[in-house]
Amino acid sequence: MIPASWKRYQLSQLVNKALSLPKPIPFDFLVRGEILRTTLGEWCAEKGIGEEETLEIEYFESIMPPQRMSSLPHEDWVSSVSSRLSSHFLTASYDGQLRVFDYSQKLLRTVPLHDAPTTSLAIIPSDLAGFAENTHLIASASHDLTAHLTKLSLSDSSDLPSHQILASLHLHTAPLSSISANTSGKHLLTASWDGLIGLWDTLVPSSDEVPLEEPQGGERKKRRKLGDSENSKPKRKAPLNVLKSHTARVSRALFAPSGNQAYSTGFDSTIRTWDVENGVCLSTITASAKPFLDLALTPSGTSVLAASTDRTVSQYDIRAPESAATPSSATFMHSGTPSCIAVPASGSEHQFMTGAYDGVVRLWDLRSTKGAVTSFKVWEAKGGGKVLSLDWGNGVAVIGGEGGVEVWKANQGDRSVVSSN
Amino acid sequence: MAGPRVNGNSKKRKAATEEHAQPEETVFSHNVGLEMQSEDEGSEGDESDNGEVDEFPEIDPRSDSEADEEYPGDSAEDEEEDEDKDDEEDEEEESEDQSEDDDISDDDLHIFPKAKTVTSDITGQLKRVFPPIEPDYDSDSSTEEAPNRVGNIPMHWYDELPHVGYDINGRKVLRPARGDELDKFLETIEDPNSWTSAFDKKAQADKPLTAEELDLIRRLQENEIPDAQYDPYEPTIEWFTGKGKEEIMPLSGAPEPKRRWVPSIWEKQKVMKIVRAIRQGRILPNKPKTASDKAQFYAIWNEEPSAHPAPLPAPKPRLPTHAASYNPPEEYLPTEEERKRWEETEKEDREQNFLPQKYSALRLVPAYNQFIQERFSRQLDLYLAPRIQRTKLQIDPNSLIPKLPSPNSLRPFPVYKSLSVLHAKTRVRSVSVSPDGAWVVSGDESGNVSLWEVIVGKEVKRWKFDGKVGALEWCPRTDVVFFVVATEERLHFVIPPNLPAPVLFATQAVLSPANLPPAPATPSPVKWTSVSAASSSSEKPILTIDLPPSSGLPKQIAWHRKGDYLSTISSGEGQGGVWIHQISRRHSQAPFKKVKGAVQLVLFHPTKPHFFVATQRYVRIYNLAEQKLLKTLQAGIRWISSMDVHPLGDHLIVGGYDRKLCWFDLELSDKPYKILRYHSRAVRSVHFHPTYPLFASSSDDGSIQIFHARVYNDLMTDPLIVPLKILRGHQVNEGLGVLQIKWVPRQPWLVSAGADGNVAVWCS
Repeated sequence: MIPASWKRYQLSQLVNKALSLPKPIPFDFLVRGEILRTTLGEWCAEKGIGEEETLEIEYFESIMPPQRMSSLPHEDWVSSVSSRLSSHFLTASYDGQLRVFDYSQKLLRTVPLHDAPTTSLAIIPSDLAGFAENTHLIASASHDLTAHLTKLSLSDSSDLPSHQILASLHLHTAPLSSISANTSGKHLLTASWDGLIGLWDTLVPSSDEVPLEEPQGGERKKRRKLGDSENSKPKRKAPLNVLKSHTARVSRALFAPSGNQAYSTGFDSTIRTWDVENGVCLSTITASAKPFLDLALTPSGTSVLAASTDRTVSQYDIRAPESAATPSSATFMHSGTPSCIAVPASGSEHQFMTGAYDGVVRLWDLRSTKGAVTSFKVWEAKGGGKVLSLDWGNGVAVIGGEGGVEVWKANQGDRSVVSSN
Repeated sequence: MAGPRVNGNSKKRKAATEEHAQPEETVFSHNVGLEMQSEDEGSEGDESDNGEVDEFPEIDPRSDSEADEEYPGDSAEDEEEDEDKDDEEDEEEESEDQSEDDDISDDDLHIFPKAKTVTSDITGQLKRVFPPIEPDYDSDSSTEEAPNRVGNIPMHWYDELPHVGYDINGRKVLRPARGDELDKFLETIEDPNSWTSAFDKKAQADKPLTAEELDLIRRLQENEIPDAQYDPYEPTIEWFTGKGKEEIMPLSGAPEPKRRWVPSIWEKQKVMKIVRAIRQGRILPNKPKTASDKAQFYAIWNEEPSAHPAPLPAPKPRLPTHAASYNPPEEYLPTEEERKRWEETEKEDREQNFLPQKYSALRLVPAYNQFIQERFSRQLDLYLAPRIQRTKLQIDPNSLIPKLPSPNSLRPFPVYKSLSVLHAKTRVRSVSVSPDGAWVVSGDESGNVSLWEVIVGKEVKRWKFDGKVGALEWCPRTDVVFFVVATEERLHFVIPPNLPAPVLFATQAVLSPANLPPAPATPSPVKWTSVSAASSSSEKPILTIDLPPSSGLPKQIAWHRKGDYLSTISSGEGQGGVWIHQISRRHSQAPFKKVKGAVQLVLFHPTKPHFFVATQRYVRIYNLAEQKLLKTLQAGIRWISSMDVHPLGDHLIVGGYDRKLCWFDLELSDKPYKILRYHSRAVRSVHFHPTYPLFASSSDDGSIQIFHARVYNDLMTDPLIVPLKILRGHQVNEGLGVLQIKWVPRQPWLVSAGADGNVAVWCS
């Protein structure tokens, strides 16, 4: 029995005492999918729940209000950020540049990747042979219909070039919207506006696999490029496989953790599961009139989160057998168009972050669909701006978008069980 | 007694004399009822033969005569007087009169006791002294027999008794002996008068009917007047006419008025009026009977009873509560403040018209001085307050709204502003969305044209042109990608960057072919200049069309569906400035030699070779293949501002500066099928969605209205137009609101360009 006048603080004390923690940890509490903000009595009165009923209250470690740590100014909009590289931030911008920052906000590298706006970048987790220390392979997708594989060296030694574009990936006939790599770093997926998903390996070819097309009297004429292959020139690379099923723009394609499957979503309001090896669409989740902008796997790997232009982020169970019209299990309402979803690489399995066009980044708990756990507005000094990209891990959230890049400290709450009234 | 009576008597006497042959004595001997004529005849009989009288020894003749003459005395005297007037009738009557005279003399002798004239002892004068009446049996002159005096009582009371009543002296009248049935039968055989006899109740015996009674019966049977003495055909008595009875002297001495002997003019006029009316047929003297002339009868009870409810009863006065008690509970007694308040309020405003008061006993309660007043006002209430059941027309305003499907069931449609792109410090006049729905170009008044993604809103490329951008439009072809920007007297064809190579080559080949088509024979004022494909880039327009000088800023670019023809309208003066350019032939032509009115807008029909031309007030539809006018649509709009045709081609929407939006069903009529006036300011732009059943209108009030417009293939079904959503978000700048709207193909999204410099994307 818990007094109805208790609020979060008293409950948190109770849990601390029960767990006999050496150092008190603040907890937050979930009552029926809702974070407790008032006293229990008020909550019951508001919901019309009698005080005699048994309430299940879940607790989780409180999330401190996120704090802005630093701001990384950019000249142009930032379309993609990544913090997966230890102690570095990578940003891809609409001016086609890749920028590398370290934690002290110092701009380490500026790599001109594309002539056209870069839309997405992915760090290929690899320890490829022939790569020196502090050298990484970066995949980037762009409006110029190609994706690039770039070798990036972060070591200070000047004997090596800081970067080298190894290959350009030629498949799409429309701007690319995303690129992603699997955990082993062997394969890449590119999603494009033309409705195709390209499956690539990360091996750099020794020669061009795709002929360069030249204008010749208005006709397409394939002609093999004359073969003085320079090292500096990126090799033209062809896809391993093409996944065709989407009827409209594919906005995001990503690998399942196992690597055998892939998920993709697009403007045709579908979420598709692919067998990567065979290039077959295994199942399709069809929503109605929900052009999806972004997709993320939940940490548990059993469901996906998809951001749609109807201002919702919906959770879909991907384990469901192939059937039409799988209803979303949870819907998270936003006030602006949600553009990106970030799920921490490790840690909490119930929390995720979304960024929206209204410049607000929200932290959600999967169990609390009514409202965000916490939210913060980025680029307040500049009057806000669209959030286009988000990465969250190790207690640090990197937000890229209209106003550049901001780094926020946002801890993940930890796991918990249940108390009851 | 008047004259008729005289004749009646004489006739009866004749009848009586004829009946002398019958043995009347027996009849009269049995006669009990006293009748005048029977008395007469009886008296005659008395005088004629005495033998019959002898059969009744106990009655002496004196008493008989007295009894006989008692009643007829008056009549006889009357008759005598009557006879005096006209006596000479005939001899029989004379003899009758003679006998009557005898009777009268007899009366003088017998009816009244003879008064003796004696000298009074007291006064010494003569006086008449009548003999004293002896109270014996004979003194009763009413009847000679012992009549039954029981009166009008049920005679069965005497059934058990030997007598049937009492006479005047109280003696019993014995029941007459009645024979048995055989005697009765024998009597009927023997007595010829028995069939005319009837049972006399009083006497309890059969009595023969008199001749008068028989006569009465006969008259009744023959429907004659029952009274034998009544003569309906009496001769008139001439009182004033006849000899010696003339009126000689006039009643008045005044001279005769003229009107007695001059015919009346007025009467003649009146008569002539009627005569004329008859002649002219205005009055029908003998109107033919028609059916309506017949009397009409109604079965008044056959009608249904009235359905009207009975008049409402007056509301009952409320029953008194505890407060009206003479000894109310304490809580009903008013406090001082309540009392004061009650006294201060107006009489009409008081809730109660009394203050509760407490009395210890009912006998202490004073008379209620308001009683009369209250009764009176109650009566006034009942009398003056009309109690009519008013059938108030209760119309729910919601029920008047036509039944439309809920907007929620018509999703998706744009509901919110997802993003906006700002053109700083200028108005964005025109916007266009690429056919694949991925890119937007927007052009502002300072000559900037920017290309940006629909869903991100990031400007990818910007072009700067000289002067205002009046219009820009993507080419609707999907195999080539370029758009046209209209600036002052010029059209620029621009290829966006980052095209796949095949598309880029195809586009370049279309816009800047290697070998130009032959120039037209007649020199055109429109010049086509293009940059060669090799040296072209997305920075500069690959093709430029120079419109004739002083044609002004083109207001509109309209593409044909196939993307080979485009039409432009220049805002400048002179021949309307309508040009149709053909890309493949690099040729421009002006389709109209002269145009009535200033052309506002043009449109190509999506499927047919039809061409819509909107002037200020009318929309004309031309067939370009046959080169003739098909139809003129009258929108009823004073100044048309915008127009769009449905993708199926059968419907047209026209917006006007006078806030109206007209929907034309081209198959239906020249008049609008529906006029929507939902904007509070001028309508600036209308657009149909290419695939979704949606259209939108934008206005200077800064709002965009989204409509659901479902068009049916069935010609009989009217299009369904449902207002869905009003999108607000654009600022009104110098009286201008949302200048152009365009739908995003393939998605239910809308791009709107506002005068505030913002281009917004509205998402579902």
